[in-house]
Amino acid sequence: MVLEVSGVSKAYGGVHALEGVSFGLEKGQFVSVIGPSGAGKTTLIRILNGSETSDGGQVVLDGAHMELARGRDKRALQKRIGTIYQDFALVDGVSALQNVLNAALPDMAFGPAVLGLFGRERREKAARLLERVGLSDKLDTPVRDLSGGQKQRVAIARALMRDPALLLADEPVASLDPVTGRQILELMQDIQRTEGLTVLMNSHNLALSQAFSDRLIGLNAGRVVYDGPVDRAGEDVIAAIYGEAPR
Amino acid sequence: MSRRTKKGLFWVALILLIILAARAAGCSLPLFLSRRDHLTDILEQMFPPDWGYFPRILAPLWATVQMSVTGTVLGAFLALLTAPLCAGDLRTPRWLRPPLRVAVQVLRSFPALILALTAAFLFGLGVFAGTAAITAYTFAIMTRLTYDDIETASTSAYEALTAMGAGPYRAFFRAVLPDIAPAYLSNALYMLETNVRHSAILGYVGAGGLGLILNEKVSWREYDRVGAILLALFAAVCLIEAVSTYLTAVITGRRRVSRRCRRALMAGFGLLFLFCAAATAPPDLSRTSVQTVKNMLGGLVRPDWSFFFDTGPGGLGRLLLETVCIALAGTAAGALVALPLALLGTARLMPRPVAAFFRFVVMAVRSVPFLIYGLIFIRVTGPGPFTGVLTIAVCSVGLITKRFTEAIDGLDFRASHALAAMGVGPVLRVRYALLPQLGPAFGSAALYRFDVNIREASVLGLVGAGGIGAPLIFAMNQYAWDQAGAIAIGLVLLVLIIDVISARLRRAG
Repeated sequence: MVLEVSGVSKAYGGVHALEGVSFGLEKGQFVSVIGPSGAGKTTLIRILNGSETSDGGQVVLDGAHMELARGRDKRALQKRIGTIYQDFALVDGVSALQNVLNAALPDMAFGPAVLGLFGRERREKAARLLERVGLSDKLDTPVRDLSGGQKQRVAIARALMRDPALLLADEPVASLDPVTGRQILELMQDIQRTEGLTVLMNSHNLALSQAFSDRLIGLNAGRVVYDGPVDRAGEDVIAAIYGEAPR
Repeated sequence: MSRRTKKGLFWVALILLIILAARAAGCSLPLFLSRRDHLTDILEQMFPPDWGYFPRILAPLWATVQMSVTGTVLGAFLALLTAPLCAGDLRTPRWLRPPLRVAVQVLRSFPALILALTAAFLFGLGVFAGTAAITAYTFAIMTRLTYDDIETASTSAYEALTAMGAGPYRAFFRAVLPDIAPAYLSNALYMLETNVRHSAILGYVGAGGLGLILNEKVSWREYDRVGAILLALFAAVCLIEAVSTYLTAVITGRRRVSRRCRRALMAGFGLLFLFCAAATAPPDLSRTSVQTVKNMLGGLVRPDWSFFFDTGPGGLGRLLLETVCIALAGTAAGALVALPLALLGTARLMPRPVAAFFRFVVMAVRSVPFLIYGLIFIRVTGPGPFTGVLTIAVCSVGLITKRFTEAIDGLDFRASHALAAMGVGPVLRVRYALLPQLGPAFGSAALYRFDVNIREASVLGLVGAGGIGAPLIFAMNQYAWDQAGAIAIGLVLLVLIIDVISARLRRAG
């Protein structure tokens, strides 16, 4: 098992965002977390990548306890997780290549990192990854001048830069048009299949989640209300996840 | 050549250029340090100020405010009418565009002080000349800013209206103006702030206001009274800044007010303008004749070409080059000082009281007219271009700090958070996610200030601080219009060249 989550809870000022969430991810799975707005999907991703700490429960990544790690140990664990975001979270003014290289910073000594001496090996790897996501002609283009779909491709390349065990995706296609969004998910699925990457994706687009995932986890008001294969989630299950039939 | 090498070469060239400029302007750190005790000479005499002198400051202070309010409103209004005629993509008469643009560019090349000197020749000494100068100065800058804004605004609504048969002016006011209004109004308010400081020195050339008594007290060495004048000016600048900050927040929608309140604000400002305009004394035309105007224009048409092409030490080329060197070295030094001040002055990175303190310091530095700095520095480094560099540097700090702080306040932290989630430490997050966002903003602020400094540096001569200013003012005062014409043409060309260069730099990013 790549990731084991058990009994994770989080509250903001007395309001429960997550309550006793438990599930596990097998290597190479593509899992979608679905649920209405405010169900706790983004909070879950933020706890899994260490941006936020949980109030209770355990997050175990490849046998190491994420919730216990601090400082250097925590950063070492964070290196093994790649995240992509709805708003891409890229540095706009610098090139696509530099954005991908930024992912290598935690592996480098401080001096070379500050001076930007990434070395030929890392540069070649970043260029290879940009080629992999279909941007071989955009290496030196500032991210500002890329389209939304291209930006998300850069973000994927950045997430892959350190060969993560787990790829988290927080609404990766919500800012994109339907055709571009589908292409991005196809790319993610292709990488998942060819490289055996484990993917956990948040989405409020039920149709896309059903089309691309092996498995659905339904969240409602911070609780897991469904966890199983896509084809077994019938209309009654979906209705239960969303509290009412999705429109 | 790759982008990285090009960038590296650009920086090396820029630093070399600044060092060369600093050397040419006679900058010497040891000289400055060895005589640094004299820095406080005048300051000590200014404080405590002569409190009993305050009542007699009020009238000229009012004249200063009057000139700046009237001039800014008139200039901004005229700019609003002229800008659509200058803009490229509106269906206004095509043949008008080139001459108007040239006129605006020529007017833009002169500092307010030179405009005031010219106005004093035409309208006699007094507040009217100052108001005319501020109007022309505001008009030139605002027209340029506004037609730039019009050209970048979306024209689809404008085209839709003209397609339905609306005339160009009507379509402009209905379809384009709402788009550019916030930028236009906040530019106008910013002009008002700068104009208060500018009009405080116009009295130096006889155009009324605080400058008149400032000049008098400085030449009589009554520095405690100078201190009182500066304090009064600082209070006025603070008041105007507070009002303009509030109004800018209302205009840009950061502060919401009711419709009635909005109307009350507009009516209040309208009344203030009417009052200021109505109280302006009429021009004194007794000494103005058609012959004066003829002589002035004659100088522009038949400039002293031998002086224009003189490449010797006293020639125009050398003087202009010295002006550029002063502006370049001064801007660089100012930007260097502004960077830490901006970081210390933002509530986003510093505790609130610390930020407030440094903002206050910057405001105080900004409110003192540059001629006073010139006087202070001349005690330290003596007459010459080095004093000019120091003066320009201190004057640049205010504006550059303001722009820098705005850039820091507008930082986007999302990329930084994403890097944190990947395990990147704080120093590297600043280096890779935050600094790349600030670089372009810093660059454009420094570039903009350089543009302004070229003009400011050309009046430094007034206090003996080098540059083209002294010869120009001497020539005008001696009615040597052919020489003044040559210098004016040189200045216009210089500003044009700098404009072209900075536009290219901006586009290159």
